[in-house]
Order: sequence, then C-alpha cells, then structure tokens
Amino acid sequence: MAFEEINSKMVRATVAPGQRLFSQRGAMLAYRGEVSFTPNLRGGQGGVMSMIGRRVANEDTPLMTVEGSGTVFFGHGGHHVQVINLSGDTLYVEADRLLAFEGTLEQSTVFLGSQGGVMGMVRGQVSGQGLFTTSLKGHGSVAVMAHGGVFEVPITPQRPVRVDPQAYVAHHGDVRNKLSTALGWRDMVGRGSGEAFQLELSGSGTVFVQASEEKL
Amino acid sequence: MDSGSFSARGTCSVHPWRVYFHHVAMFRLQGSKVLAVDMTGDAVKAKNGSMVAYDGEMAFKKLSGGGEGIRGMVTRRITGEQMTVMEVKGHGTCWFADRASEINLVGLQGDKLYVESSNFLAADAGLRTGTSFTGTRGASQGNGLFTTTIEGHGQAAIMSDGPAVVLRVSAQYPLTVDPGAYVAHQGNLRQSFQSGVTFRTLFGEGGGEAFQIRFEGDGLVYVQPSERNTIAGDV
Repeated sequence: MAFEEINSKMVRATVAPGQRLFSQRGAMLAYRGEVSFTPNLRGGQGGVMSMIGRRVANEDTPLMTVEGSGTVFFGHGGHHVQVINLSGDTLYVEADRLLAFEGTLEQSTVFLGSQGGVMGMVRGQVSGQGLFTTSLKGHGSVAVMAHGGVFEVPITPQRPVRVDPQAYVAHHGDVRNKLSTALGWRDMVGRGSGEAFQLELSGSGTVFVQASEEKL
Repeated sequence: MDSGSFSARGTCSVHPWRVYFHHVAMFRLQGSKVLAVDMTGDAVKAKNGSMVAYDGEMAFKKLSGGGEGIRGMVTRRITGEQMTVMEVKGHGTCWFADRASEINLVGLQGDKLYVESSNFLAADAGLRTGTSFTGTRGASQGNGLFTTTIEGHGQAAIMSDGPAVVLRVSAQYPLTVDPGAYVAHQGNLRQSFQSGVTFRTLFGEGGGEAFQIRFEGDGLVYVQPSERNTIAGDV
C-alpha cells in the first residue's frame, strides 16, 4: 500500500520511480529522499478537456504531482485522515476532501444530477457539495480528510442508510444516492428537528461518515 | 479516560461503564466521538441536528428544553434556557456526533445529572429533563444562569472538548474547578462559587483564575481539558 497512517492526522506515502502520486497542493509536511513536487495545472489526470470539465464543475482543487523516490508525509489543516483501499471499485468523494491518491487510480468528475434527477441537483445545493463530485476508480489507495475522524457504515440492499449531508464524506460500491426530505409543517414554522434533509444511500457498499457536521 | 483518571488528591475515580445494558435503547461508543444507539421501537432525546447517519426507520421530532408541558414552556421563557432537543424514535441504529466533540456515557440509577446545556448530547427518552438555577456561576461561565438536569434510570451521553476526566468528590475531599472547564456533575453535591478577586486583579495582574466553583458532598464531577471563553478567564 502506498499510504500508511502514522497517526490519526498524518499519512506516510512511499514513492518509487515510475509511480506517481497526486496530492492536494500544500499538503506535504515533510519528505525524505529525492522527491519532486510539480503543480498540476490540469488539476489531476486526463487532458485539457478533463481540466475544463473540472473547472466547470468546480471540482478543480489544486493538485500536485509527486514523483521520485523516497517517503513523503501528508497532512492538512489538522483534519483526520482516513486511508481507503480500492480494489477495482469506484470511490465517490468531494475534491476538497481528497488529501492524496495513487496515480494508478483513474480520476473523473461525475454529474450528480444524473443520479436522482432534480432531487440530485437539490442534494448538491443543500449539502453544499455542488452538482458534481469526483470519482476514483481502479486499484490503489486514497487518503481522505474529515473533521473528527470517520466511521464506516455498511450498506446492504435490505438496509439502506441515511446520512446527514453535512456529515457525509465518501462512499464506494454499487450505491445509488438520493436526497430524501422529511420536511413537515414543523420545519416551516422554525420548529424543525434539524434533520430535514437526509442523503439516502441504497444498494450494496460502504459509506464513510464523519463525527461532525462541519464541512471542510 | 479508559482506566487512569485520577482526582487531584490521588484517589482513583470511578468511571461509569462504557457499554451499559438496559431494557430500552442501547448506547454504545464508536470510537470516542461517535455515539451509536440501537433502537427497537423506543425513543431517545438528542441534541437538535446531532444525527449523522442512521439505518432502518427513524422519525425526528423537535422537543423543547426546560421540561414538559406548560410549566416547561414558562420555565424556558423565564430562564432563557437554549437547549433544543429532538426526539428520535424508530427501529435500527442511529449515529450521533457533534462538532467532533468527545463523548462520555453516564449511567443514571435514579440520581440526577446536572450538565451544561451545550454539553448535552443524548439521553434515554425515559429520563426526565429539566432546568435548574445555578446561581451566580452561570454568568461567569458564559452559559446563562441555568443548567439542564437529567433524572431517572437510564443512559445519557454528554460531550466535552477533549476527553473528560471524572473526579470523585467525597466528604473529606472537596473539589474546586475552573468554571470554563466544568462539564457536568452528579450525586449529592453542594456547589458554591468562589471568587479570588484581589486588588491585583483590578490592576490587570490577576492569575487568570479569579473565579472557581467548589463542590462539597459526595458525587462525581466531569471536567474537560479545555476552557470555554468566560469572563472569569479574562481576569
């Protein structure tokens, strides 16, 4: 595995020649060996078209390419870091939560509106996540940031999981998401329980939830 | 928090059970910042908006602090107690967390827990909640003059900024705490407010510990390793 959790807020990555890493710009804390950090104008993989896509989608968190041979320590803003290993499946995560990921993973931008129609768009607006999200596919590992640490909740076809949109971090597997509302008259008169919007995840996979309602 | 929490005078404190079996909703900690509650048709009270995820079927309804009924409503108006609580009812598991605060489980066997409203996370719906007057202490804590009380048999979860220590107070060993670090207390305790304001404080040369709360009697006090912004902290 490329990433190793040193403590809850820091990961160590091993870089070898021919292996690339992408990381959020400015997230390097220290490094050993001969490692170069190149700002990645295109904000990730793919050509110019992917770059334009990301710009339009507002998923263009500045990334840098990490190459060479040595070890690099990553961490950012004192946030908790969780390493997620992917073996062929797809991880959906917000671009600004991405700390670092292996170059073997295929990065792309997904339009959430296509999943769940109009409510999908509303979802993005309500949760403050926008209409687009980043997906990472393939074999490799990803370091994701969250406020206050994350816990995993398994999703099975019999047991869909509902998540507070502000506490949602990432999900993987064959999962459909939709925004469900539990708006009642109480919410209209300002006596709501504060849980009017929920992100409903059904299918089979895992969702990562953080111990806080704070966005990064 | 797990094993070694010691009181200031070297007597070992007793920590309530982390996992507590009860005939109603079961509270368990997932890590130190997430509370998982398994429910089978019963209900819990929780801080408004503190749900982060759930499976199964749950319904959320807002309650208001200060106790039930008209009396509670009047109490709230007078006291300005700002605890907004929701009732969560259903089947399944519900996870609660709030701003990455550390969570402490407290088991109540008929006794009363006094907790700062901002530190309350969740409690069995069977526990009675109310408001109590704290005297002059509240003003120095920046929390108002009233705190929340929880009474009955069951489980409650309280939050602290950093892992809380549980300090035992007994007749021989009274305890004095910084108002900003105080989280909650339970048992048969008398509290009094101490002020160490001297002429030095007036000249801006105070030690930063001008106000303290003193607990006497027999019970437990929960103290967090952090201080809220208080008037007391400035002098």
